[in-house]
Amino acid sequence: MDSLTKLWLSTGLANFELGQVVMMLVGCGLLYLAIARNFEPLLLLPMGFGAILTNIPVAGFSEAGGLLHYIYYAGIDTGIFPLIIFMGVGAMTDFGALIANPKTLLLGAAAQFGIFATLFGAIALNYVPGIEFTLKDASAIAIIGGADGPTAIFLASKLAPELLGAIAVAAYSYMALVPIIQPPIMRALTTEEERKIEMKQLRPVTKIEKIIFPLGVLMMTIFFLPSATPLVGMFCLGNLMRESGVVDRLSTTAQNELINITTIFLGLGVGSKLSAEAFLNVETLGILALGAVAFSIGTASGVLMAKTMNKLSKDPINPLIGAAGVSAVPMAARVANKVGLEANPHNFLLMHAMGPNVAGVLGSAVAAGILLALVGG
Amino acid sequence: MDNMQQQFIEAGTLMLAGMVFVFAFLGVLIIFINTVLARLAIKFPDPIVVPHSRPNKKSKSTTSGDISPAVVAAISGAVKRYRSQHGQDK
Repeated sequence: MDSLTKLWLSTGLANFELGQVVMMLVGCGLLYLAIARNFEPLLLLPMGFGAILTNIPVAGFSEAGGLLHYIYYAGIDTGIFPLIIFMGVGAMTDFGALIANPKTLLLGAAAQFGIFATLFGAIALNYVPGIEFTLKDASAIAIIGGADGPTAIFLASKLAPELLGAIAVAAYSYMALVPIIQPPIMRALTTEEERKIEMKQLRPVTKIEKIIFPLGVLMMTIFFLPSATPLVGMFCLGNLMRESGVVDRLSTTAQNELINITTIFLGLGVGSKLSAEAFLNVETLGILALGAVAFSIGTASGVLMAKTMNKLSKDPINPLIGAAGVSAVPMAARVANKVGLEANPHNFLLMHAMGPNVAGVLGSAVAAGILLALVGG
Repeated sequence: MDNMQQQFIEAGTLMLAGMVFVFAFLGVLIIFINTVLARLAIKFPDPIVVPHSRPNKKSKSTTSGDISPAVVAAISGAVKRYRSQHGQDK
């Protein structure tokens, strides 16, 4: 009889707590979004599965000795996984459109307003009972507005590790929702005439420019913002491997095998942070709400900046490309292209929107560096 | 309450400093692209090697001027005969 009782006590059924069941359902929800709705499946699938694994009673996946515990501490707590992913993103990024039209860097800068404005929102949420965000927490939440998954995870792991799960879920969910969140804001802030604007064809960019660009960016970061060098440095390394043309094998590995392997572990590691006590609270709802606000403000400020630039510049600028300033490469650029085509079927904005899009990646890395330097210390 | 006010002031300072810095950083990058990179592009243009030989090859095989008149006559004769034999208007 004793052994029967012992056996029963070792089953999942006997040990389940309500919170764990709810979090498993959240994990299933993420799996559903990934598989059925195709929302950022590369990350949401391992993340959802990680959430299920970490909430299994008795198994102890996220306790010392458990697999997810080590994955988290080896790769996310140290910041290694997001940085490796950033190197892969660098190896996939073509800065040609940005070098051809450098003014678009201003759009990437303007869209970062979403990040800094959200800081206010996060602090204001402290008026809600049950929510208590410090400035560090607020900064980590605000970076969701940068629409850059690895940057958000990197910053959250440094500033507010206890909020990492909710921040990563919000960041990736909203990135997947870019085609739904952005178009209404873009349409509301522009006129039909502005959306029809056709832009001048971009000049061809030489190989030497593409090789020197990442080195120049790195140099500037070293001089002005060393706290951003982990992100920018890895990004530039990946980009230099791509553009130099002499290490194709490394470049191919960085943008395929390496980034894929790291994505699996990053997803599982983030999933391990989706425990009931860390996720099922009012703060998570606050983070989800603030993420949407950050995204919308970023999009709006990018569009408004592009409108202003269009008025001042001698070359026409379609304000829609300003929305692509919120990184989310290349989805945001595709959205700008799509909304532009609705107004003018002969107007292909994709290449023009890639400029602010990659500028947004740099902008959010710089913003993360600033937050780390000012709040992290 | 005082604490909240303090936090709001800190967030405001952070926002101002952050936005100024992001614009300044990316602004310097614009100057870098417009000066250093633009000059490099003029000094070291991409060598144009590949497109030179290909179009020539292609034009040789497609331009009718390069095909000998005898071959053209033979082909058109054959086509004419085929069409008349098969009664096709096409």
